[in-house]
Amino acid sequence: MSLKYGILGLLAERPLHGYEVKNRFESLLGGSWEVNFGQVYTTLQRLERDQMVEAVGRRGDRGKQAYRLTDVGREALEEWLTRPESEPQQLREEIYVKLLLSTRLANGRLDELLAAQRRVYLQRLKDLSELEERARRDGRDDLVLLFMGGILHTEADLKWTEACADEMRQIKRKGRERL
Amino acid sequence: MTRLIELTQVQKVYDGGAEHPALDGVTLGVDRGEFVAVMGPSGSGKSTLLNLIAGLDRPTEGRIVVEGWDLGHAGEAELARYRRDRVGFVFQFFNLLGSLTVLENVMVPAVLAGHSRAAARRRAEDLLERLGIGSQAGRYPARLSGGQQQRVAVARAVVNQPLLLLTDEPTGALDSRSGAEVMEMLVELNRGGQTVLLVTHDPKLAARYARRVVSLVDGRVADDLVMQPAAASPGKLIRVRVQEAAQ
Repeated sequence: MSLKYGILGLLAERPLHGYEVKNRFESLLGGSWEVNFGQVYTTLQRLERDQMVEAVGRRGDRGKQAYRLTDVGREALEEWLTRPESEPQQLREEIYVKLLLSTRLANGRLDELLAAQRRVYLQRLKDLSELEERARRDGRDDLVLLFMGGILHTEADLKWTEACADEMRQIKRKGRERL
Repeated sequence: MTRLIELTQVQKVYDGGAEHPALDGVTLGVDRGEFVAVMGPSGSGKSTLLNLIAGLDRPTEGRIVVEGWDLGHAGEAELARYRRDRVGFVFQFFNLLGSLTVLENVMVPAVLAGHSRAAARRRAEDLLERLGIGSQAGRYPARLSGGQQQRVAVARAVVNQPLLLLTDEPTGALDSRSGAEVMEMLVELNRGGQTVLLVTHDPKLAARYARRVVSLVDGRVADDLVMQPAAASPGKLIRVRVQEAAQ
């Protein structure tokens, strides 16, 4: 996601200065991402240039400057909030490329790779489930949704890994039958 | 820990299925006090494995030893006693007796095992209390939700303090919240030393609650994974990628 809209969203609640934006953003994401203050700062400046936010009052202690959302900013935020995501699906994991290459290489050790990957996903399911449970206990329903998303994606990855393994077994079996 | 169950090269072939054995050379050990999930797609042999350990069926080849006792050499009457006294079962459907109260349902196995009604009653009452469902004791199953009924079924399964608690898709008929409550109950029993075997097709359930996950594929053990305690900060598990806007 773009930091730009994250900042607009936080400023829609109340005016904030840079450090508050950084801290609130990190808390919003439940510690799943550390935000770089330099990025926050330059993004705020660009948003000010594009008249989506404006400075409030004078610079305070240690040069702290608070910003608030303008009408232009609010409109951009609202448009973004209702826009469905239509980017191509990002399959970043190296496992995809490893599999593509392994199926071409005669000595690819696909079985081992799939088994090891499956273990990683199972452990991740456990870890994410506990985070989800903790968020539920802490009353952070928004984070429950984030972790639930992670769990569902991991379940899909696991299913896919198993489908690959199944496919490999069938290819091997057919190979044996042909002999 | 001491070894409770030992399967050695277990093969199970159903009539006419010689080409595709339901279990094909399974060797597996389970220690006392473990919580093991047996996972696999349908047809992978997980229910067959459970039935063999439960003494409901016999292997075609190989040995199944429970607490030093070879199930393969046991007579029918011995096996029936083993099932009654040593094994607790929980299935997907709760199978409570509708004409009996919750308390009476839980008492049944204790009475069948030879306890007096008074002793069975005391035992059932203590257990329901300990499992946090004491307030349901006088109600009839039809008045309970699915999740409550399954918790009663778990209580019934452990009233004789079985060596082994065998559960086959125990949350299959429940919504996720009630399912979690039933699973927490199994975890709690396991903490108290109860050996639990959970058969499930659901990887999330297996990974989340069991301490060890055995995966079956085509009747063979494809993986045997000891789960690590969940640690890790959220950032190590999940990332919402935040990018600066271009220009």
